[in-house]
Amino acid sequence: MTSTPMPAPTATTPVAPGSVAPSDSGLQSGPLTSPPPRIATGTPMIAIDNVSKWYGDFQVLTNCTTQVAKGEVVVVCGPSGSGKSTLIKCVNALEPIQKGQITVNDTKVVDKATDLPKLRSRVGMVFQHFELFPHLSITENLTVAQRKVLKRPAEEAKKKGMDLLARVGLSAHADKYPGQLSGGQQQRVAIARALAMNPVVMLFDEPTSALDPEMVGEVLDVMVELAKEGMTMMVVTHEMGFARKVADRVIFMDRGEIVEDARKEDFFGQPRSERAQQFLSKILQH
Amino acid sequence: MFSNFDFGVVFGSLPYLFGTGMVFTVTLTALAAGMGVVLGTLLAMARLSGVPGLKHVAKVYVELMRSLPLVLVIFWFYFLVPYIGAYLTGASRPIQVGAFSSALITFTLFEAAYFSEIMRAGIQSIPKGQTGAAYALGMTYAQTMITVVLPQAFRNMLPLLLTQTIVLFQDTSLVYVLSLTDFLGAASKVAQRDGRLVEMYLFAAVVYFAVCFSASFLVRRLQRRVAIIR
Repeated sequence: MTSTPMPAPTATTPVAPGSVAPSDSGLQSGPLTSPPPRIATGTPMIAIDNVSKWYGDFQVLTNCTTQVAKGEVVVVCGPSGSGKSTLIKCVNALEPIQKGQITVNDTKVVDKATDLPKLRSRVGMVFQHFELFPHLSITENLTVAQRKVLKRPAEEAKKKGMDLLARVGLSAHADKYPGQLSGGQQQRVAIARALAMNPVVMLFDEPTSALDPEMVGEVLDVMVELAKEGMTMMVVTHEMGFARKVADRVIFMDRGEIVEDARKEDFFGQPRSERAQQFLSKILQH
Repeated sequence: MFSNFDFGVVFGSLPYLFGTGMVFTVTLTALAAGMGVVLGTLLAMARLSGVPGLKHVAKVYVELMRSLPLVLVIFWFYFLVPYIGAYLTGASRPIQVGAFSSALITFTLFEAAYFSEIMRAGIQSIPKGQTGAAYALGMTYAQTMITVVLPQAFRNMLPLLLTQTIVLFQDTSLVYVLSLTDFLGAASKVAQRDGRLVEMYLFAAVVYFAVCFSASFLVRRLQRRVAIIR
């Protein structure tokens, strides 16, 4: 299956596993696209199909269509107010959409029959402001959803939590409270908390934007590791270094539209849209 | 003038004043506060919910209770509760409701309106990102409220809830209209019997002041300790 955006309504049409569509035709209308860098098979992990969203009369998303294949790392970038955070929040229905459809791991997000809590429990999300629960210790932060949502026994949840805490290098802080940790440490705990739910896909909403510069690296390191292990990731970020290093594809958004959806090499090599060129020249200047 | 005072009457009646009067006052305060906070929290959640009917019922209830004098509400409930009970149970005669039960129900319902406004502010003080994070982990609305929002809201609002409880402690003296004997009522009875009105009412004032002032002091100390580090 290609991860190239296709015009609706064919975008969510299931494609039989193994049937890899030749996608280098470059004949699509709409956003400028390029073929996916990896050969992924089966239906996409995330399919965003012709999604529009309004806040009152103000349209924040306009006909957004894209897909994320299993194991793919997609970076979403664009100027502030371009709708990239909104788009990623629509994927696990934290924000409702008024038009279009999103499918995550074969489950329709916009469907009354969908068990949203269940869907969300399989979609890890990391927020700009960490959003650890300040009244709970780090251990409790890592285990509370495992116990309440997945109904794991306390022992198993704790073991899982501690393993992940060790993975992000913070075992020594298990009994502390979020307020006692630095921003970078809190964000690493937040990533561990999301991973504890065994997610099939991870969403990152500007995970490093609220951090002091010296803490950005430690969080990105964890994310790079995750990407190398084959986690499917959709990352809203301004960290172009991260995008260059691990992204398969880069989506560029402006004014609520997906302006460019390209392979990393193409995006950084020769972005085809003028707006993406301007954005890149600004962001890479410093 | 003070030479005529006889404070001996106070010491003689201490067992009655505290053993009967104060125990009643504290019991009523504790029960009404506990139940009032629970009901108030539910009202606050109803008011903050998007459900149109529920939201408005809660709003009307809170506004109504806050606009009526407590004494009036106590009276009304004392006379109405037997009939409401009869209506609910389908009995043909007004049901028997003791004065204490009636007072407890009244104070609970009345204080719930005030507690709900405090809890509403508490729930609103929790950043939206916290509920977002809870939902993103797959929690339901109930799980989100119980494990994430309410514990933090309650903690943030604990000083205000306790301050309101101190006010309630003083307001329980209004049960005299139902001929119930709280601390002030007990003092009043002794005062009438022994003809020592000034002494007994002075003593009652001192006791109320001492209890409420030290409670406020403790609340302020607590306030510094429970503040969540963010």
